[in-house]
Amino acid sequence: MTAVMDFALPAELEAHEPAEHRGVPRDAVRMLVSRGSADSVTHHVFGELPGLLRPGDLLVVNTSGTLPAAVRIEDQLSAHFSTALADGSWLVEFRGHNSTGTSPAHLDRPAGSTVTLPGGAVLTLECPVSWRLWRARLSTAVVPYLLRHGKPIRYSYVGQDWDIADYQTVFARIPGSAEMPSASRPFTPAVVTELAARGVLIAPVTLHTGVSSLEEGEDPYPEPFDVPPATARLVNHVRWDGGRVIAAGTTVVRALETCVDSDGLVWPSAGWTSHVVTPLTGVRAADGLLTGLHEPRSSHLRMLEAFAGPDLLRRCYEEAVRAGYLWHEFGDVHLMLP
Amino acid sequence: MNNQIALVTGASRGLGLALASALSREGYTLIIDARDCDALAKAAAEIGGQVTAIPGDIADPAHRAELATAVQAAGGLDLLVNNAGTLGAHPLPALADYPVAELRTVFEVNVIAPVALTQLLLPPLRGRGGAVLNITSDAAVEAYAGWGGYGAAKAALEQASNVLAAEEQTVRVWWADPGDLRTEMHQQAFPGEDISDRPLPGAVVPGFLRLIGERLPNGRYRAQELLS
Repeated sequence: MTAVMDFALPAELEAHEPAEHRGVPRDAVRMLVSRGSADSVTHHVFGELPGLLRPGDLLVVNTSGTLPAAVRIEDQLSAHFSTALADGSWLVEFRGHNSTGTSPAHLDRPAGSTVTLPGGAVLTLECPVSWRLWRARLSTAVVPYLLRHGKPIRYSYVGQDWDIADYQTVFARIPGSAEMPSASRPFTPAVVTELAARGVLIAPVTLHTGVSSLEEGEDPYPEPFDVPPATARLVNHVRWDGGRVIAAGTTVVRALETCVDSDGLVWPSAGWTSHVVTPLTGVRAADGLLTGLHEPRSSHLRMLEAFAGPDLLRRCYEEAVRAGYLWHEFGDVHLMLP
Repeated sequence: MNNQIALVTGASRGLGLALASALSREGYTLIIDARDCDALAKAAAEIGGQVTAIPGDIADPAHRAELATAVQAAGGLDLLVNNAGTLGAHPLPALADYPVAELRTVFEVNVIAPVALTQLLLPPLRGRGGAVLNITSDAAVEAYAGWGGYGAAKAALEQASNVLAAEEQTVRVWWADPGDLRTEMHQQAFPGEDISDRPLPGAVVPGFLRLIGERLPNGRYRAQELLS
């Protein structure tokens, strides 16, 4: 494994609330733009995106919607529903509450024990997967249950609950992500219209992302994804035609890279993916990436390094810290162009 | 290069046979069933390719378990087509006169059986991002005199599909109305009438292939719209 980039993230650079609630429209968050070919880093706002792409470029977006995936069990304990598994069970993370928010909790119970959730649903703990994760089965369908009883997952840097609508992107169609696929949060109907009018193409994939609260060195768990045939054809066509494929989010990269063959052709596919993109695996299906700003040492930084290389990526993050960009799901974004 | 596996119920004739034949030509490995053992064997020969034919009644839990075993033996499932169904009492009686025992059978075959089979097969479908296609009818939404039993059961199947789509994250769920077709079931509904103006089942198959091949979003579809 290559070393993961480390840096100091000053507390004042954490975004605590949706951009609109600090007086910034969704599409006016800041956007750092790095270009591999020019070895440059420049500063923009997100609304400039249509002018930064070219006619014939293809933006691939994630249509997964954010679930209110956190269920309060009792005063001191919550369950975060992370990922659906093929047998109908779910990966569930337990979180203990403290004065500043929540932290991973180890539930010391024997396999087979049950936890009663609000509304009378019963969660059976089938098998511990890690210190803080269980494979568990709910007595009712999970997605409809969460839509009724859950709240959006939030971590200590977000001080209050926000409406689930604040966690949906304009492309959200299929509820299923434990946390917002946040790279697409700044898109507005006006930006999408401007992209279309300029001849930039947009195609959908779906990847339901699990909880991001991974321990250090822990790789992301398998996630359900779907790359539909029309999107696979478009990706292949655009790259053959000399256009650039820009993934809107690390989730999109993960989905596309799961379906690409050694010749760089993308094949339609659906299921669960365990693929983890690193500088060693490289990227074959995408030329660029629109993403948020990631925490020090997070596994996503290895994917970003696969796009930009270690030196340019380090400069980007130094520049973002220096210029006061905001981190996390409600923060600013980073467009990595080839 | 297609190593996908499909299960089509009621594939000995009509739409089921036409759809199974087309999927076989697309390279699917097929598992098919029907009640009539001889007709099913003939259909399997006609379909060609890799076909496992399992005779039985879809309303029989033991038969459904056999189908699930065949899916396991085939190594998984990408597509379940719940096509088998019964018209119920015919000539079509008004609801006022509908024999209740027959009504129960219509719901058993057209609603309970496909839902129960889907329950058995969801785990393999989920693992591969598979799809369920439930064949319904415009009688599920329109009020045609005489179609109260069949139509009410198909309406129930449609709503079961609708809910399943809301509950399942990784399985596509479609419910589709093929339109009036020149089939034995349709002839039963209109005994003695000339139904030769209705298209043969093969005519709507390209629409269903598009639905499946393009992995269109969850929802209700009409074959006519898929063809246009």
